[in-house]
Amino acid sequence: MKQILLITDGCSNVGTSPVLAAAHALQDGIVVNVVGVLDYGTIGELGGLEIQEIAKAGGGIHRIVGTPQLAQTIQMMTRKTVVQTIQQAVNKEIQHILGDGSLEDLPPAKRSQVVEVVDELAETSPLQVALLIDASASMKPKLAAVEEAIRDLMLSLKARAGSSKLSVFHFPGKHSGEDAVMDVNWTSDLDGVRSMFGRLQMRGATPTGPALLKVIEFYRYGTLEGNQSWQGHSSQEEGMLGDYVV
Amino acid sequence: MTTSSSPAYPPGTVITGKWGRSRYIVERLLGKGANGKVYLVRPSGGRGRYALKVGYDALDLQSEINVLNALKEQMPDPYLVEADDHLEGSREVTFYVMRYIEGSPLHRFIRARGTEWLALIGLKLLEKLSVLHASGYAFGDLKPDNVMVSAYGRVELIDYGGVSRFGRSVKQFTEWYDRGYWNAGSRTGDGSYDLFSFAVMCIGLLDEKALREASCQLPQTRSVSDLQQLMRRNPVFKPYAAWLNKALAGDFADSREALNEWKRRIYEASERHVRQIPVRTPRWLKNAFGISAAVLACAIYLFLRS
Repeated sequence: MKQILLITDGCSNVGTSPVLAAAHALQDGIVVNVVGVLDYGTIGELGGLEIQEIAKAGGGIHRIVGTPQLAQTIQMMTRKTVVQTIQQAVNKEIQHILGDGSLEDLPPAKRSQVVEVVDELAETSPLQVALLIDASASMKPKLAAVEEAIRDLMLSLKARAGSSKLSVFHFPGKHSGEDAVMDVNWTSDLDGVRSMFGRLQMRGATPTGPALLKVIEFYRYGTLEGNQSWQGHSSQEEGMLGDYVV
Repeated sequence: MTTSSSPAYPPGTVITGKWGRSRYIVERLLGKGANGKVYLVRPSGGRGRYALKVGYDALDLQSEINVLNALKEQMPDPYLVEADDHLEGSREVTFYVMRYIEGSPLHRFIRARGTEWLALIGLKLLEKLSVLHASGYAFGDLKPDNVMVSAYGRVELIDYGGVSRFGRSVKQFTEWYDRGYWNAGSRTGDGSYDLFSFAVMCIGLLDEKALREASCQLPQTRSVSDLQQLMRRNPVFKPYAAWLNKALAGDFADSREALNEWKRRIYEASERHVRQIPVRTPRWLKNAFGISAAVLACAIYLFLRS
């Protein structure tokens, strides 16, 4: 299962539409969730709408929260999305067998069995979550909370029975050609990572769309080259991916 | 996402099971959990009262029902009564019916009745937990709101939405009571995860202010030693400290051992303490005794003189 979690606090203003980019992600089997982080004021009608639209196009969930709820929110969103992805796949199978029907139409005993399978798969299937962080100027005071939330997410992912990997990107990069910068490559342990967002240069532009496309590319390149082997011999591959993106 | 924000059912609403055909009449809303709303109901034409949970999401609630069904075989008095679907307008919602426990959440009970009840209630709660653990499940989201205490200290766990099998990730948790939040270990469900939550819960019940202060630290520096420190500062923790420290460190082999130690160190000690409280003779009784003795002395004196 593949997810992108976008954490932002406003509107994109450069490049490809992030809604289109999210639709591309979903086409590639990557679910896009969006969190709007907001401590004071409002996110604006436009920003709120965009957040909603990106999540809809990306087949995911969106939430707007303050920094105190951030950790719990992304933890919950990731879990929900995992279950949903499995459920969709299982529902497809059910429809395949029953013709027209979903989980709710099954009698309780059958449903109980199906849900047991869903729970089992949700817990054991390999999972990848790429976090894409809006590092524009207004996000700067929130980055400490974002980092904390990411570490907390890793802690929850580590508790899963299946393998879980996480990577972190921020945008925009140092110069205009750089849409997204990788901060942490695929890892299943953040203990060794001291500071995720070291020296950030704040720029005015918010290229959410192009940054999303970069992360999709990162995902795509990995699967093309590694042939689903990211969970196997990953060290070599990680180095390659790192070179490619940075 | 299919999180519906369906309005609460007004009193008098009839909930009819699609498969089992049983009917329940809503009396009032009891509360809201992470997975659904809980109502107080009475069966149509029957006696007694039950709690009925209507799920926001069929899958989440079914997952909870599965756990309850698995536990049904282990528990002496089953908690789950039945599970079914109800047609709400054009939509079907899943619900399940459980035993209704009249009482108040643990923190309110302790606030109203005093901390001397903690030894007894803790013992009963540990008994519940050890039954759950013996069947291979961790409760997960252990906090005062999820512990119901009825008038005479009977204890019941409510909201099984966070229950997970041992070795699986904990589905629901609350910051304060979470082992990961205190940088004290994983979020994998096991017996010691619940015992950790239990210990933090006791700390909060005995000195909530200190726990609040300890939790306000920077996330990186937050640790169990903060909890140990706050226990040293307040003498109220003295009888509990040894047990709580062991639970926080995850040093109990299992909850049965934790239960036995609680019984030995805390429960029996508190019982002795209760027995040792000297019964004081009220002053009016002493005075009345004095007066009657004086009257008796006078009477004897007068009797001998005559």
